[in-house]
Amino acid sequence: MTNPVIENIRRSLGRTDQTTLSLRPVIYESRHPESVDSETERFLDEVRKLSGIAQKLTPESVTAALKSLVAENNICKATLWHSPLFEQLGIDSTLRGLGVDLVSPTADKREMELCDLGITEADYLLPETGTLVLRSSAEKPRAVSLLPRIHLTIVRPEMLRADLHQVFAEAKDSHYLVFITGPSRTADIELTVTLGVHGPKNLYVWMLDQS
Amino acid sequence: MSDDTHTYIGFEEYSEHVPPSIPSAVQQATSRFVDGRAARVAELPQWEELRQIGSDIRLHTIENMDVYLTRFETAVQAAGGIAHWASTAEDARQIVLQIAKEHNVKLAVKSKSMATEEIGLNHALEAAGIEALETDLGEYIIQLAGTGPSHIIVPAVHLKKEEIAALFSKKLHIDAPADPIELARIAREILREKFLAAGMGISGANFLVAETGTLVIVTNEGNGRMCTTMPELHVAVVGIDKVIPDWESLTVFLKLLARSATGQKLSTYTQFITGPRQAEGEFGPKEFHIVLLDNGRSKILKDPIGRDVLKCIRCGACANVCPVYKNVGGFAYGSFISGPIGAILSPQMLGMPTARELPYASTLCGACADVCPVKIPIPTILRHLRRRVAQGDDFATPTMPALIHATAGLVSLALAQNWIYRLGTRLLPFFMRIFKRDGWIPSAPYPLSRWTKARPLPPFTASFRQWWNVRSTKGKE
Amino acid sequence: MTQAQLFITCLGDQFYTSTLQNMTRLLECLGVDLVFPPEQTCCGQPLFNNGFEDQTRAVTLNFMRAFAKSDAPIVGPSGSCVSMVKHHYPELFPAGTPEHSLATDIAARTFEFTEYIVNVLKITDLGAVYPHKVTYHASCHYLREMGLKTEAKTLLNAVKELEFVPLNEEETCCGFGGAFTVTYPEVSRAMMDNKVKRIIASGADTVVTCEPGCLMNIAGGLYKAGSNIHAMHIIDLLASKEGVA
Repeated sequence: MTNPVIENIRRSLGRTDQTTLSLRPVIYESRHPESVDSETERFLDEVRKLSGIAQKLTPESVTAALKSLVAENNICKATLWHSPLFEQLGIDSTLRGLGVDLVSPTADKREMELCDLGITEADYLLPETGTLVLRSSAEKPRAVSLLPRIHLTIVRPEMLRADLHQVFAEAKDSHYLVFITGPSRTADIELTVTLGVHGPKNLYVWMLDQS
Repeated sequence: MSDDTHTYIGFEEYSEHVPPSIPSAVQQATSRFVDGRAARVAELPQWEELRQIGSDIRLHTIENMDVYLTRFETAVQAAGGIAHWASTAEDARQIVLQIAKEHNVKLAVKSKSMATEEIGLNHALEAAGIEALETDLGEYIIQLAGTGPSHIIVPAVHLKKEEIAALFSKKLHIDAPADPIELARIAREILREKFLAAGMGISGANFLVAETGTLVIVTNEGNGRMCTTMPELHVAVVGIDKVIPDWESLTVFLKLLARSATGQKLSTYTQFITGPRQAEGEFGPKEFHIVLLDNGRSKILKDPIGRDVLKCIRCGACANVCPVYKNVGGFAYGSFISGPIGAILSPQMLGMPTARELPYASTLCGACADVCPVKIPIPTILRHLRRRVAQGDDFATPTMPALIHATAGLVSLALAQNWIYRLGTRLLPFFMRIFKRDGWIPSAPYPLSRWTKARPLPPFTASFRQWWNVRSTKGKE
Repeated sequence: MTQAQLFITCLGDQFYTSTLQNMTRLLECLGVDLVFPPEQTCCGQPLFNNGFEDQTRAVTLNFMRAFAKSDAPIVGPSGSCVSMVKHHYPELFPAGTPEHSLATDIAARTFEFTEYIVNVLKITDLGAVYPHKVTYHASCHYLREMGLKTEAKTLLNAVKELEFVPLNEEETCCGFGGAFTVTYPEVSRAMMDNKVKRIIASGADTVVTCEPGCLMNIAGGLYKAGSNIHAMHIIDLLASKEGVA
């Protein structure tokens, strides 16, 4: 069974439902990665070029960094992914200790909209473009990296992938993926670049040192 | 072919009344994008290889479009999405309206989608009492202003910040300052509320991945994410020409698209959406629909030369380098898509009675073909479409005004019967002598007046043939 | 003895007698024995580019008959006219017909002037002297359809006492586009104005191009703008012995 659109296409091309598919052209080779350190530096550099705030941290210094971030940005409400890593780092308790209201990541969108800060991990990192790749699930809700005005992502070198080919090979069966390459931006008004139009205005990327 | 009637596109008329602010605003945008693109291309030594592969994949997909679309439909349904097929613009409008009605939608938020502009979806929704709000900042601005886009990527670039502030103040009943950052903040606040309240999110897609039934949506602002994440219902309207075979192919197009469009390595947000959300807490729509839009594309497929237009990935690089576009802006092309790609797409989608002036809106300079990431041979297609206008072909009867056609016949006769041309060449200098002033011909009778109103003609010296003859007999000097 | 046929082009014929004379003399100085088939009129490009393909064929046949009398190469002072012959003549006739064979043969032996000098005769110095500041407009079909990216500058490089200054947006179309000047005169004018502005801003006192069409447009535009900048065809510059006693 088919539909008029497909029928019209076949008629125009002189094909039938029996006509076989010709071979898809060959794709070029993927980029070869350099050393982990080099890839890490490249990744963080690209994030900075996009006005993201990127730094390498030891797990021990996360608490202090979080304190600074909260103070500098007047964070009153925050939401974060449920993650074993975040538990290990004590993110929850640090934030509570700073008087930040914690909103569940599966809260109603209107509640989450009031958050100043959203904290996520990432599933993959692309160094060439400084891109974070995030899946979506009930444990990793999409809105956490979207609604709050500041998005903090805590990542690890194991997430680095050389090129799109590798990410796609591993992640193409996800029902949702988002690539985040810098903070939200527009140049629609007189070509003046403005950050934080609809998505987060500030993007913090903390790369944890291998330990 | 579209069942909608279209207003005749009078490019000549429009080009004679271009508001003076348009060329300079457009040129500021295009030069920034051109410089950006050049920097990005210089970074990728395999750029030409990528272009060729991109072109090959797109052509392969077009030639096998039925297979890939069928694959896409199967995959998206397996993922819990609902696929609809729209042969015409009216079909597509009806499908979307039906979905909106079934879900009692009062407010829809729209991510930038040229397909929805093509079918006039906003008007149809408004007519049915549904508020359809553009959320891309540039589209939001021109929606408020009630005009079309002046540029594919930055549709409101022709408006100064003072004009936008005045527009916001008037339409939103606030006191808006003439500051781009403040204006963006105002838009953000207003649209936030709308994103959260909307019953339906409408989007297009940059690519449809047949392998897994995935939509790829590319934006910079985050409105694309908001429209497809906040409402419970997501409806995508996408041209059937957007389909690509698989994720491997996608690697090529993601490397080509942003670099060609704005000079970014990648746009800020690239989403890969396969069906509705899978779990309650993850956000995202509960129900996902995709309307696969034909509206003339399957007819274009019949034309082996014209159908290369369907390779287009809507980057706008051609417009950024087109000297014609840069001097007239988007409005002159009379449609949602402008620049060189508009000049070859609109005539094929809307037909020649409407768009016969567009294939001539070019000097055939070829700058567009040099930058097209998928190597669409735009000048070749322009000539091909000019032939359709001038003398007709397998796809349409001629639409050239009779007078011009007759003139071409006379010109052909004079040039083919060389005695006529040679006689004319001997006589013209004699007749044109009276128009000479100061070594030039500053004005001449119609049709030469169309030249001389902008610049003088050089004098008709035309004496080479006599000189050669004299020389041949008397010896060379 | 090298032989060549002169393809003078319709614009050259009407407006640029001295350029054609210079072309003749330059080629003869290089030892080329020239033939001028008088039956030539126009290559047919204005009709072809505007979609009048059926009407183009009669013009094409006239051209081919004129130049088929000799089998010597054909040389013309215009990239766009030569491109018409080289790239589009064979397309106009069905494969297998005698016209198609003739078109293919003619196409293979038609050259643009700078192409002929640099790539066929392998000569880069014509002994020209031109003590001026010169800038160069790269004509669209010459550059993109013919692929002649370096030939003009190579020849200009060898001209004694010439000071070359680059032109901002050297490769941007000047707005001539053949019939475009009369189809959309306002857009053509705007493009011409942009080109003239940039030529004036370059600081050159001469602008040189390889196309009679562009030359007509730019020269007229410079005059209209009240500029003293001299616009010339590269052939005229290459024939110059200015300042030599």
